[in-house]
Amino acid sequence: MKKIRIQEEFCIGCRLCEINCLVKHSYSGKIIKAFREESPRALPRIRVEEEGYLSFALQCRHCEDAPCVENCMSGAMQRDRETGTVFCDEERCVGCWMCIMSCPLGVIKREQKTRRIASKCDLCGGEGEPVCVAQCPNEALLYE
Amino acid sequence: MSEIIQTNYLLIGYSVSSWFAAQAIREEDDSGRILAITEDDKAYSRPLLSYVLGNRSKDIAYFGEVVSHNPIEVWWGSSVINLDGVERWAELSDGRKVEFERALIATGAIPVFPPIRGASGEGIFTFTHIDDLERMSAYIHKENIENILVLGGGFIGLKTCEALIELGLNIQLVELAPRLLINMTDEKSSRHLEKALIKEGVDIILEDTVEHFEREGQKLRGCVLKSGRSISCRMAVVAIGVRPNVAWLKGSGVQVDRGILVNRFQETSCPGVFAAGDVTETMNMVTGERSVTAIWPEAVIQGKIAGKNMAGKRDVYPGSLPLNAVEVGETALISAGLVNPPGDDDCEILVCESEGSYQKLVLKENRIVGLVFVKNIEKAGIYIHLLRQRISIDAFRDKLLQPDFGIISLPSNFRKHMVEGAGIEV
Ligand SMILES: Cc1cc2nc3c(=O)[nH]c(=O)nc-3n(C[C@H](O)[C@H](O)[C@H](O)COP(=O)(O)OP(=O)(O)OC[C@H]3O[C@@H](n4cnc5c(N)ncnc54)[C@H](O)[C@@H]3O)c2cc1C
Repeated sequence: MKKIRIQEEFCIGCRLCEINCLVKHSYSGKIIKAFREESPRALPRIRVEEEGYLSFALQCRHCEDAPCVENCMSGAMQRDRETGTVFCDEERCVGCWMCIMSCPLGVIKREQKTRRIASKCDLCGGEGEPVCVAQCPNEALLYE
Repeated sequence: MSEIIQTNYLLIGYSVSSWFAAQAIREEDDSGRILAITEDDKAYSRPLLSYVLGNRSKDIAYFGEVVSHNPIEVWWGSSVINLDGVERWAELSDGRKVEFERALIATGAIPVFPPIRGASGEGIFTFTHIDDLERMSAYIHKENIENILVLGGGFIGLKTCEALIELGLNIQLVELAPRLLINMTDEKSSRHLEKALIKEGVDIILEDTVEHFEREGQKLRGCVLKSGRSISCRMAVVAIGVRPNVAWLKGSGVQVDRGILVNRFQETSCPGVFAAGDVTETMNMVTGERSVTAIWPEAVIQGKIAGKNMAGKRDVYPGSLPLNAVEVGETALISAGLVNPPGDDDCEILVCESEGSYQKLVLKENRIVGLVFVKNIEKAGIYIHLLRQRISIDAFRDKLLQPDFGIISLPSNFRKHMVEGAGIEV
């Protein structure tokens, strides 16, 4: 399975990945609309962490033994058998936050949709290169 | 002479623990016969019960097929009434006998029901089984219930409240302890939860309990509390706890205290007989004390480890870790491990508070041993991971609970292992 590789030595902390991720996961998919008109605003599913000169962008690692999948008691958090992507089926998610407490990277968020659901990196639906990778200006994220 | 069936693996009860055990067995052994016997008519997720009651989820089914060439056999609606852990056979309610090489006992927990005067008769429910869900839903509709009493402010009591709030019922929540989720909160975090419940219209009565229920013929009319206060309600849910379902093991040879006692391989006192999930009593990884930790993540880990060992591999259980997550209105709460260290313990407490949010870490000997987070819960998993892995926080102590605390705060070799490792062990 292809994964996003983090090259922290190239990250410049510009947060374009966060912005592009948010837009990609908004209703309209348009940047101005996503930030100005949509309420509640979509959340980025990637987090840039920074400390001094060091920074990197972190998103779900789609772990092999994914604790969020095992601890999901609604069956919403699951692995796509073909692509290997771990994703949350929003229809089935009840918002019990078992996934949040079992994610060692803290990359699952509560997101307000018609109700609150768990939100995380879905590798942009597996349709080729995720936007965070595609839009990174310095190859700090690779998809391989 | 009634029929005798032979199997390599017998799973008694077929829910979370057994499902994970079956998967783990199949990973090691693709051909052995796995037979599961379960009282239920189908597999369902118990934690979903409250969400189905509250109309947040339609579907109660959860488990898929164990993916393998050689599927496992499940006999639904059938129960084991006798076990001989030494001679390795089990007797079913229909008289059949199953001989096994390895067995897993995963019969879960049953609700505790106190002997309260007036408790027998219509209108009083416990809430741990799919039948309870159906009976409760039907009763609420048929009797046009508007006011309901929930006895017990523990985990299941709160989950029940979450659901009843969604149904728009007026709830009176009665709890004997001075706060909610007694072992998994401290006073401040409980107050946050109480505030959220009050905002949703729940009337919370602490340090009190039901003295007796009052009836009008068969029907419930209300109750009188120990304090003398009387409450009128036509329906009540009793949620004061669960206990391991072990009564049927009398004479089996399997050693039981409150729950089934198991060693580090999830094996009982009878070699070849394993146990996992709510039915067991295990060693708490933080306190070292034996206790029943009846939660989903424990059922998962214990089931996996039992399955692996049943199939002849060796895998060791790290000990249990109490965990909780609840959400009322906007207020979410996650807690783990030791939240209220005993006074004589040399624990250190870190707290970070801002409007509506509360985060507390309990440290001991440079390690995280417990936490409770209210509202800002999203990074709780990082701290819980550090707790499970017993990572020394010495190198990043000053970053703990800072808003920008993250994976970047951790020592770089550990961080890289977390981010790049093939699978993350939790
Ligand atoms: C309302 C509710 C909400 C919950 N919410 C959460 C939550 O949000 N998070 C969390 O971590 N945990 C939660 N839990 C706890 C969680 O559901 C349990 O920890 C988990 O189901 C334990 O799984 P188990 O496999 O040990 O047993 P169970 O799921 O209890 O299954 C036991 C099985 O054994 C069968 N059985 C029993 N006796 C026999 C017999 N003699 N012969 C054959 N079969 C038998 C039963 O039919 C059943 O299939 C909740 C529980 C309830 C009731």
